[in-house]
Formats: sequence, structure tokens, C-alpha cells
Amino acid sequence: MKKNDIILIAALLAAALAALAGIALYSAGTAKGAEAVVYINGKEQGRYPLGEGRAVKIPAGDGGYNLLEIKDGQADITKASCPDKICVDQRPVSRQGESLVCLPNKVVVEIENGGEPEIDGSTN
Amino acid sequence: MLLGIMQRKKNNRRGKPVPHQRGAGWNRRFTAAAYVLAAVLAVGLLAALYLKMGNRQERYEATFFGSFDTVTVVTGYARTQEIFEEQAGKLEQKLREYHELFDIYHTYEGTSNIKAINDAAGEEPVKVSQDIINMLKMGIDMYHKTEGKVNIAYGSVLSLWHEYREEGMADPGRAKLPPDTLIQERMEHTDISKIVIDEEASTVFLEDKDMSLDVGSIGKGYAVQQLSSYAKEQGMGHLLLSVGGNVCAVGGKLDGTPWQVGIENPQLESQKPYVGTVGLSGKSIVTSGDYQRYYTVGGKRYCHIIHPDTGMPSGYFPSVSVLAEDSGMADALSTALFNMELEEGLALVEAWPEVEALWILEDGGIRCSSGFKFHEEK
Repeated sequence: MKKNDIILIAALLAAALAALAGIALYSAGTAKGAEAVVYINGKEQGRYPLGEGRAVKIPAGDGGYNLLEIKDGQADITKASCPDKICVDQRPVSRQGESLVCLPNKVVVEIENGGEPEIDGSTN
Repeated sequence: MLLGIMQRKKNNRRGKPVPHQRGAGWNRRFTAAAYVLAAVLAVGLLAALYLKMGNRQERYEATFFGSFDTVTVVTGYARTQEIFEEQAGKLEQKLREYHELFDIYHTYEGTSNIKAINDAAGEEPVKVSQDIINMLKMGIDMYHKTEGKVNIAYGSVLSLWHEYREEGMADPGRAKLPPDTLIQERMEHTDISKIVIDEEASTVFLEDKDMSLDVGSIGKGYAVQQLSSYAKEQGMGHLLLSVGGNVCAVGGKLDGTPWQVGIENPQLESQKPYVGTVGLSGKSIVTSGDYQRYYTVGGKRYCHIIHPDTGMPSGYFPSVSVLAEDSGMADALSTALFNMELEEGLALVEAWPEVEALWILEDGGIRCSSGFKFHEEK
């Protein structure tokens, strides 16, 4: 086995390892913690990690709003300008795919990056 | 390998020119093996990379508003987000078409819809699409199969409640119930046999000028069922469609397992969001309940589902869910069951082998038809 053989084999393995490391890094980069993602009329407005407590006033047009509170790893709409308040009545959400919906304001808060969902949909 | 290097070193030390190692058979085989191994590793990793980046179907979700006054969620798989969004966009468009067809409040250019039929009540037959005719026929069929507990000809009473509910929600302090005399008067104009369908001419005619159609109990389910067929035609074989909690599974998940659908707990203050989950594959589940759409008069809740015999909101139990092959049928049946006492509804469902149902009672108790299976009871 010549020196060049060794160099070539080493180079091949190094390239392969680099690719592997790349995949691992890419995966790690996409697997962040769970976030509450706010959509207004289907357009993303902001992402808030569930790990950090905060209150966000979501502007919903015509002076309307939904108040999103993140506390203890859960997202909840605690106040809203809409007439029906169905969004305020909804339970706090924390698991992948769960969502809070305010139909009059066209606001959806959805949990993303929370790992494999336990539930794919729900009926009410 | 070690041996080879040692030999070479030894030779070097002796100052002899090192001949090519090709003579050593073991070493040559080793070199070849190392090359093959490295090549296999490299190709394998590149293939993995390619699959990860290029060919693997990822799970996506799209949410949109604007149809059937509710929120629609499409969950499915595609290689890229763009592909998924294009597919979801087609479904959104299709759903919107059904929304316009079944709308009772608005007129759309170039569309002959339910409102057009209502507007021409007592006057003339209206030419409509086959979809409207099929949906109305299904509605009439469900009326007869449920002893009239779901009635698409109940528009006159439903619009009255709708009006009072909207006003009551906008100004809760002054919310009131529709006067009883008015309800009774409207109930005179709910005779489903006065819907005249002429299939050959593709027309629908309402014989009573004061009657009107309201397909809120079936239109959405019918549309979701059509959407599921359309999705299959378009090559989307693994989808979960949820149109305002009217949930329909096109196939199962990508790995072949059923979609897990939670049945919401009507007790919203409870820590338990779902009473349980059901596995859904190629079927639909639809729930009718009193705890989301309602208004309050004098501290009492009045829900949006009106009992066809009394003209008043139903209140036997907080919710009932129906599991069936056809989403339109599940939709209509869940409304009918909501307008029946538990035992009566249970008897009806048991007589229908391909249909299952689950009732959630006021005290939090649960009753199921004999074939209803939870994937997981919470």
C-alpha cells in the first residue's frame, strides 16, 4: 500500500465524515425547542419559544387584538377583542401541532418544533 | 498493514531501494479492500444526504380561513414545502368553491348557489350543479333515516336564531331570545317535502315561498368528502383534512399507521383536553356540540343547533361524535343525534353497522356505540 493510497482513502473517509457531520449539524439546527408560532390570515407573524415566559399582543386589524401569554411552557390566549371569545375559552397548548384559533381575527397560534405529535388532529 | 510498514522501515534502514509493494499479495488485497470500504462509506453517506435533502417526504401542515366560516387544517406529506403548499392551495380553492355553492348569505358571480334557490322560493325552479343536487338528496335521505331530526328545510327558523344570536353576541347585555310566536310562525315553513328536485332538468324548486334551505348540518361534511376524493385523484394519498373539527382521513399516515384524532373534552376548564383519541384511516369523524357556538341570555347558554320539533336549542348532552365512512353522512348524523335523547340515538346508531358514535354527557360520563374503539382513552 502506497502512501498515495493511504492519502486517498483518508481523504475519502474524511469527506464522508464531513458529510455525516454536516447532516448531524443540519438536523441539530432544525430540531430547536417547541415554539408558539403566530399566524394572521395564514401569514407567519412571529415565533416565541415556549421556554421563555412573555406576553405578546397580536394586532389583528381594525384595532382588534389577541393577547398571547406564554407561561410555564404553555401558550394561551388570555384576552381578545373578538365577540365570541372562543379563543380565550380554549385551553393552553404546549404539544406539537396543537393550536389556538381566533376565527373573527383570523389568528392562529400553533405549536411547532415540539417533536413528534401525539395527536394529528381533533374534533369538537 | 503494520507488518507492511515495518517491512518497509526495515528495508529503508538497510538502505536498499524499496521495491513496489505490489509483490505482496496480502497487501494488495488489503489496499483494494480499503478502497472498496471507503467508497462504500462515501456512497452510502452521500445517498443518505441525498435522501435527507432531496427525496424524503416531510410532514407539513397548512391552515387557512375563508371557507364555511371556520378554520381548515390540512396535514400531509411532500418532498418540499413548496410542493405541499401547492397541493394545499388546490384543496383550499376546491373548498372555497363548495363554500360558495352552499352559501345562504351571499351571491357569487357565475355561481348558482343555495341562496339562489332560497331567493326563488315560491317563484321558479333554479338550475344548479350536480353537486348541489347530490348534497340535497343526501340531506333529504338523512331526514328520513333520522325521523326528521336533521332538516335542511329548516332555514326559516335557523335564520331567526342566527339573527338573535349575532345581536346577542355583539351586545351581550341586551341579548334576547326570539319571541315564541315568531318561532312557531317560522316553523310552519319547514316542510322538507316541498323541496322539488328535477334531476333531468338539473333544477331545484321550493314550493313554499316562506321556506328556505340551510345546509349547515351537511354542506361542510359533503364538501370535505368531495375534497378527499379530489385529493386522491391528485395523487395525495396520505392526508388529514380538518374543516372546523369535521375531520376526514385520506388514507393513513405515511408509515401506514392511522391518524390520531383527539375528541375534545367539552369541559373547557378541565386539565384534560381530550376525552380520548381514535385512529382514523380512510374515514371521517364529526362532532356536534353546544359548548363552542352559543350565546348567553339571562345567564343561560343557547347553542346553535336547533331541535326541529321544538324550534328551540337542543340540550340533551354537551357533545356527540360520529365515526363513518362518508363525511357528509357523519356530519348530518351528528346533528341528528344531537337532537335525540341518548338512548334513542344509540338505538339508531346500533342499527347502522358501518357507523359508530360517542356521547359525552353533562356529568363528564361517556357512552359509546358497541363498535366504537378508542385508540387511547384519556
